[in-house]
Amino acid sequence: MNKQITVGIADMKMARQEGVLITYALGSCIGIALYDPMIKLGALVHIMLPEIGRMSNANLYKYADTGLNETLRKMTAFGASRNRIKAKIAGGAKMFEMKGGQDLGNIGQRNAQNVKKILRDSGIRLVGEDTGANYARTMLMDVSDGKVTIKTFGRPEKTM
Amino acid sequence: MGIANYEDMNALELDVIKEIGSIGTGNAATALSQVLKKTTKMSLPAVYVLGYNEAIEMVGTPEEIVAAVLVKMSGEINGIMLFILKIDFINAVLDSVLSKDIDDYMDLTELEKSALEEIGNIIISSYVNAMSGLTGVSIKLSIPSIAINMLGGILSVPMVEFGYETDKLMMINGKFIVDDKVLDSNLLMMPDIQSLNYLMQKLGVN
Repeated sequence: MNKQITVGIADMKMARQEGVLITYALGSCIGIALYDPMIKLGALVHIMLPEIGRMSNANLYKYADTGLNETLRKMTAFGASRNRIKAKIAGGAKMFEMKGGQDLGNIGQRNAQNVKKILRDSGIRLVGEDTGANYARTMLMDVSDGKVTIKTFGRPEKTM
Repeated sequence: MGIANYEDMNALELDVIKEIGSIGTGNAATALSQVLKKTTKMSLPAVYVLGYNEAIEMVGTPEEIVAAVLVKMSGEINGIMLFILKIDFINAVLDSVLSKDIDDYMDLTELEKSALEEIGNIIISSYVNAMSGLTGVSIKLSIPSIAINMLGGILSVPMVEFGYETDKLMMINGKFIVDDKVLDSNLLMMPDIQSLNYLMQKLGVN
């Protein structure tokens, strides 16, 4: 049985060779799975917001920009190379459909856009994406091969 | 500005929230007994200010499916209210209003969803009325919106919405007793920080 490591909200966990990184019920948050296949090093980050704002209170993994930078820094410190790292992302949903022109719930979309922009700017290839729509996703990455599985309510499981 | 974060509230300020919670729960019980045509009692609610993972644990587990009704507040108070309904609450409502029971959330029809949306709206309005009644502020409410999905994903909405202001969620938890059934009531009451200060100022607390 593969060891499961849970990644909380605004959190990041890394594993090498074996184990499964899992983050539960991503709503408007984004899960970013980063994997270097050569050294079988994987990291899963669960970010909440597109960028660090004026309230820069310590937790780097809460924001897409600082969360990704910190994770890439740690991965390279463990021997990963940016040009080998591949990214897969999930989440960024709009859980509630607000009628009557209310502007709630667009942060999911902004999160997804910003994560993709930062990946592009950092030269990381995005090889899988399951974002948007109106449902939560549980995201798992098997660190032995980098495979990512997405589980949702009432829909078939998805692998990428 | 007095309060910078929900967890900064002092005992007196928390008492104000508790008072809103008690009056709101009383209003909600009265409204529920009218809609359900059944005697509805309530327990004294408790107010919690919780971190993300704690809030999820308080209500259930991240992947657990729940129904949730969200209403946005605007006007003198800005923020959101989110009422979470679990299956026993849903069945108590559907049984009285539509004479039906469900075993699975997948079985909910559009009609049943809109019935639940309306019940959520009635409960949320009960608390909003308590808030405006106590303080004299005027609060506008959006049209309610319902989601049926994983608890973690649903709670991420208020977390993200207020993520730049606070790391905490404010929750009012109590129980409704409808006939002999005890139903959990979990309500997230999230005025933004500026509105929270305004409320306290209106009451002369801060």
